[in-house]
Formats: sequence, C-alpha cells, structure tokens
Amino acid sequence: MEGILFTTQKALYLLLTGDSELWSIVMLSFSVSLKAIIMTTPPALLVAYSLVNGHFPGIRIILAVFNSLLSVPTVVIGLFLYVMLTRQGPFGDLRLLFTQNAMVIGQILLCFPILVALGYATINAADKRVRETAMTLGAPWWFTILTVLYEVRFGLLAAVLTGFGRIISEVGISMMVGGNIFGYTRNITTAIALETSKGEFAQGIALGIVLLVLALVLTTFLSYVQGKQETST
Amino acid sequence: MIEPLIVFRGIKKNYANATILRNVDIALYHGKCILLSGNNGSGKTTLLKIIAGLETPSCAEIEFSGKSLSWKKAIQGVRKEIIYLHQHPYLLSGTVESNVSYGLRFTHLNRKQLRDSVKEALNWAGLADVAKHKAKTLSGGVQQRVAFTRAWILKPKVLLLDEPMANMDLESREKACDLLKRMKSEGMSIVITSHDTNIIDGLIDSHFSLSDGKLD
Ligand SMILES: Nc1ncnc2c1ncn2[C@@H]1O[C@H](COP(=O)(O)OP(=O)(O)O)[C@@H](O)[C@H]1O
Ligand SMILES: [Mg+2]
Repeated sequence: MEGILFTTQKALYLLLTGDSELWSIVMLSFSVSLKAIIMTTPPALLVAYSLVNGHFPGIRIILAVFNSLLSVPTVVIGLFLYVMLTRQGPFGDLRLLFTQNAMVIGQILLCFPILVALGYATINAADKRVRETAMTLGAPWWFTILTVLYEVRFGLLAAVLTGFGRIISEVGISMMVGGNIFGYTRNITTAIALETSKGEFAQGIALGIVLLVLALVLTTFLSYVQGKQETST
Repeated sequence: MIEPLIVFRGIKKNYANATILRNVDIALYHGKCILLSGNNGSGKTTLLKIIAGLETPSCAEIEFSGKSLSWKKAIQGVRKEIIYLHQHPYLLSGTVESNVSYGLRFTHLNRKQLRDSVKEALNWAGLADVAKHKAKTLSGGVQQRVAFTRAWILKPKVLLLDEPMANMDLESREKACDLLKRMKSEGMSIVITSHDTNIIDGLIDSHFSLSDGKLD
C-alpha cells in the first residue's frame, strides 16, 4: 500500500486536473439523485399536506408507517427492489435491473418517507391561519396548498436538502440494483467501495473528498435555511 | 320588510364532549352591522368560522337567494360572498401590495384592472406609503389595516371581524371604525365580535350576546 500522503496527493491531483473519469462518476451521482429528489418532492409534500389537513380515518397509522419506514436499511430496499426487477420478478419484463432508472426508483423509495415525515412536521407547524386566510380570500384548493407550502418554504427546503444528502450518499441500493457498471451505473459511493476493495485508494479518496465537501455545503446551507424558517415565522 | 341577505339556522357545534353552540339562528342584512358579544370561550370565533365555511358545524341550514339547503350543500356557493378576518390577522410573506392583491388573482380582472384596483384600495386605506414594505415587519395596527384592505378589495357581501378592536390603541380604533363605516355604507353586511360591548359607536345596528351556546 502506498503512503497515505502520496495517495492523498494523487487524489487531489485527480480532482484539480478535472480527471474525466472521476468527474463523470460525480455527474452520474448527481444526475441520478437529482432526478430522484425532483420526482419525490411534489407527491411527498402533497401526502404530507393531506396528512396534516385531511379528515380521513387512519391518519395516525399512516404516519406511524412512514416513520418506521425511515429506519429501513438501504440494503433491504435494494433487496426488495432487486426481487421486484429481476428477470423472474413481477416487473422483470421492464428490463430495469442494473440501469440508472432502477437506481432512481430505489432512491425515490428511500427518500419518499423522509420527505413525508419531515414535510409533515414542517407543515404541521405552519400557522393554521395561513390556510384559513387563503380559503376565505377565495383561493381554490390547489392555490391554498401552494400558499401554505410557500409560507413554510425554508422548512421544506431543509427537508429536501436532508433527503438529497441521504440519497446521494447511500450505497446499498445503488450497488444492488445499479450493479456498479462503469460509465453507466457507477456512482460516487459504489466507485469508492470498488476502488477500495481493489486497493486503489486515490480515486476513492478523491470521490470521498467530493462527498465530504458536498456534505459540508449541504449542512451549512441547511442551517442557514433553518435559521431563515425560524425568523420568518 | 327587508329581505335578509343570508340566514343561518339551527347551528349546532360539538367538540369531543363539549357543546359550544346549541341552536343558533342568525340573519345577515345588506349594509347592517351586527355586534356579537360574549365571554371568552363562549363560541364567538367558532360561530364566525362556521358562517365563513372554515369550520364544520355538527348541523346547520342556510337560506340564500330563495333556497334553503343544508350547510354542507350551500356553503361552497355562500363562502365566496363571505370573508372572515382573524383577531390577529396573518399577513402572508411578501409586500403589503402582494397581500392586498392576493384574492384578486381568483377574480376575472385583467392585469391593468388588478393594478388599478390595488392602487385605489391602498389609497383608500392610507397604505400607499407602505405598499412596498414587507407586510410582516409592520406594526400590529397597520397589519390590521392591511388585512381589512385585503378583504375590502374583494367587495364581499359579508365581512366577519373577530375582535377587531381588541389590540388597537384609540387612534387606530377610530381609523378602523371609519373604514368600517365606509364599508357599511357600500352595502356590506358586517359582523363584529367583542367581549367588550360599548366600544364601537355609530356602527352597530343590532346587538346579540352569546352565552351557554345560545344567542339572545
Ligand atoms: N379545535 C377545538 N377543539 C376543541 N375545543 C375547541 C376547539 N376550538 C375551540 N374550542 C373550544 O370551544 C370554545 C369556544 O371557543 P371560541 O369559539 O374560540 O370562543 P370565543 O371566540 O368566544 O372566545 C372554547 O371553550 C374552546 O376551548
Ligand atoms: Mg375568539
């Protein structure tokens, strides 16, 4: 094994010279996770809103289900999806296994309950007068929803950032249903796992640095956004 | 004899194990102002919210434009004519101007009509100077006036004001009273609640008090 200092130097070199292999892996991670978060956010917030304002039975049970889904390990989600998508599985004909779309679906499954749970907490804490004000001023139902969501937009943005941070750093789902195919389904986390197992640390460390910087940026932005929400209510 | 604009009959409201309203009838007339008094917790806010369609009664009937229907069937149509103002109004994030124009988006005004209408309303309420200010940063009295204006601009047939004078100093009270008289002279039907009965002179046409879930 090479010296840690040397490896880190090599990692920084890869990062700073814009190594195309490295950055295409990074772009793939972002592309998959952005698709997943964009497709999850609207329906998850709608579900959260209905759980706060709806008057149907079983709301507590549904909430409890979403809360317990929060702690399902990613390998279990990966396993479940693998069984669904494998050739002999119920959705085998779709030929989705080992594709980016399979990774997107898996990440949607992972962040949907997160966004519902955090969205619920945020919307539930919204001032009850917002909805009444919108309704009494003649807003149609969908604009009433938009008005309420807009009033707690920073809290919701914080929820979305949390969800994004979770899916871009997960490895279990991507590995199992993506298959870590170079140039096609290899993302930051699966690449790190592979390179490390091969004893090639430089690229792994470079990608690790990307993830760490991303985490730092997300967390800083998150605390800024949460501060905004507190001062705006 | 003048026909009432809207009549609510037999309003009942129960929460889990408490009866808040137990058979309230109330008739609203064009250009008239009703004062609803009652102790704290007597159900004034609940009654106004039921009239505005923001709270569901256990049962109630509505007579409107010659028809008598259950609350559930009639409220969708009636709600458009009625605006409820909270005791402490909630101003949406954005400017005074965007608050005042909020409800106009749902009318059929075009952009120019909308702009003119907002301008007129801001002048009417003496808010032109703060039009571009962030609404949430204004003092309580000014916020109350923004909320009045945001409702008035929609020209509702009925305006329900929940304790509008409770948190105002004398000067804002006089200003608010003045605005309300103008609204009344434009033909609006107004309902005001208060636990303090003799604050608003020259505005009230009839006075009911709510106690034990009933109106007297
Ligand atoms: N959502 C609710 N659940 C249970 N009780 C409520 C609810 N809202 C109001 N109440 C009760 O109804 C009663 C009347 O409240 P309210 O209409 O606000 O009275 P007022 O406006 O005259 O002070 C109070 O005793 C209050 O505790
Ligand atoms: Mg009240």
